[in-house]
Amino acid sequence: MAINKETIEHLAELARVKISDKQKEKLAFDLEGILGHFQELTELDTRDVSPVTGGTDLMNVFKDDEENDELLSKGKDAFPEKEKGFLKVPAVFDKSDHE
Amino acid sequence: MNNEKSLSVSEIRDGLRSGKFSAAEIAEDYFKKIEKKDKSIHAYLNLNKKSGLEAASWVDSRLKSGEDLPDLAGVPIALKDVIMSEGLPCTASSKILENYISSYDATVVKKLKEQGAIILGKTNTDEFAMGSSTETSAYGPTKNPHDLERVPGGSSGGSAAAVAADMAVVALGSDTGGSIRQPAGFCGTVGFKPTYGAVSRFGLLAMCSSLDQIGPFARSVKDAEMVFEEIKGEDRYDATSFDLPDRRLWEKEDLKNIVIGLPKEYLEGGLSKEVETTIKNVIHEFTDMGAVFKDISLPHTKYALPCYYIIMPAEASTNLARYDGIRYGRSKDAKSLLEIYEKTKGERFGEEVKRRILLGTFVLSSGYYDAYYAKAQRVRRLIREDFEKAFDSDKVDAILAPVSPSPAFKIGEKTQNPMEMYLSDIFTIPANLAGIPGLAIPAKNKEGDLPIGFQLMGKWGDDKNLFSLGKLYESI
Repeated sequence: MAINKETIEHLAELARVKISDKQKEKLAFDLEGILGHFQELTELDTRDVSPVTGGTDLMNVFKDDEENDELLSKGKDAFPEKEKGFLKVPAVFDKSDHE
Repeated sequence: MNNEKSLSVSEIRDGLRSGKFSAAEIAEDYFKKIEKKDKSIHAYLNLNKKSGLEAASWVDSRLKSGEDLPDLAGVPIALKDVIMSEGLPCTASSKILENYISSYDATVVKKLKEQGAIILGKTNTDEFAMGSSTETSAYGPTKNPHDLERVPGGSSGGSAAAVAADMAVVALGSDTGGSIRQPAGFCGTVGFKPTYGAVSRFGLLAMCSSLDQIGPFARSVKDAEMVFEEIKGEDRYDATSFDLPDRRLWEKEDLKNIVIGLPKEYLEGGLSKEVETTIKNVIHEFTDMGAVFKDISLPHTKYALPCYYIIMPAEASTNLARYDGIRYGRSKDAKSLLEIYEKTKGERFGEEVKRRILLGTFVLSSGYYDAYYAKAQRVRRLIREDFEKAFDSDKVDAILAPVSPSPAFKIGEKTQNPMEMYLSDIFTIPANLAGIPGLAIPAKNKEGDLPIGFQLMGKWGDDKNLFSLGKLYESI
């Protein structure tokens, strides 16, 4: 599996992470090497094997949906920006979206 | 390493009750030790001195009033900096959480505080627990107390080094692919990865949710067991947690008729001379105690590493999406929302974290999902079945294996080659993929100057048996 600069740019866009040009080359080299080691898995015929989709075999674990005001207010306190008791986040739409 | 005799959990418990020392004296003594030793080791990222000493006085006042206190009261304990303790920073050794203060206690921390344990501080780790040497920490590496030019292992290297250098009596770490057992082996301490689900992860910063487990570091198997006994159990805030079945196969004075499996895949080739000889010595010691060894095969062992390095980055890339610049502080010069996401992560995540996020994004992306992620989930079943066969058909009571292919390596030795770094977890990863418990114990009769650990792996849910077996080994 060949990984080039463009693949890294695509993945970086999907993951919403900025990667510098210098890092792109190193990461492409590293990922290609790592993916090469994954080829070993193709030796195994797994058509009739059921996947392990998590760490536990527990099923249907429920709990009551309870309000926890204490945790809520602590969570609010830890939020970086607040105004008049509200959490402040950057605008989701920029001006061009309204035009 | 240090000439003073290190105290065990039971010695602290007994000493407090007999009035030999107070909890405040013990706590002050440990903060002094940290001040003295940690300049060269760098096991801690921050200390909890004020609250720690207050907690110690509280223990002393209760002792004075004649109250019967729990076993861990007054015991100084260190926490890996991915475990939340209210009011203390929780950075995961990352710049992205540089200013984050925990809003609540992890369930394990809540339990420790209820016991009256003294939280000394938060210990260094690889950034977001991604690494095998504690070198990817954004705050500088931790040194191995046995040789300051070598790594303590990782990712829970700070906790391992703190316990090894007696800057804590016990510590908590997290183990996703060996991050407790491997540093325990490198630093010469005991380290335990419980059965998946035995300990609540509420309040643990998630890396790979289907593999992460919290567990103890200690200087003896008994101490590790005492901590494990207090932190385990079902927790409504972690839906994967459950109460372990109350079974213990052996509560005996010797190991007669105990069958220990020796997986050939862990022992043929790839081991350093020191590790190979040490494991042979350990086998002799167990044989002398009456244990019977049986050769077994775990045929899918070689697939565990690629399987792990698909599943772990896949889950990690998903878990780390929350550090988006909105909830935990952001890059100052970003304008649009997209820029906030990209710049915050770009500037504040380190190289290894980015590598794993991209790798995880790749194996989950359209066109590659089936070939990589779905394939790895199926291979994980085969690895799990290898262990089930060993315990159920071959009838072994436990499996003995090395912890790592070699003792602690030099700082900087593997940082340029990620694959070589990943290979140092080759013997610890299978237990995580299978969800079974693994106990790393320092070998008594080791080859060379550095500590070398061996690990005992047990059947799913048989955590107690590993402690029984480990305590018998220590008693010889």
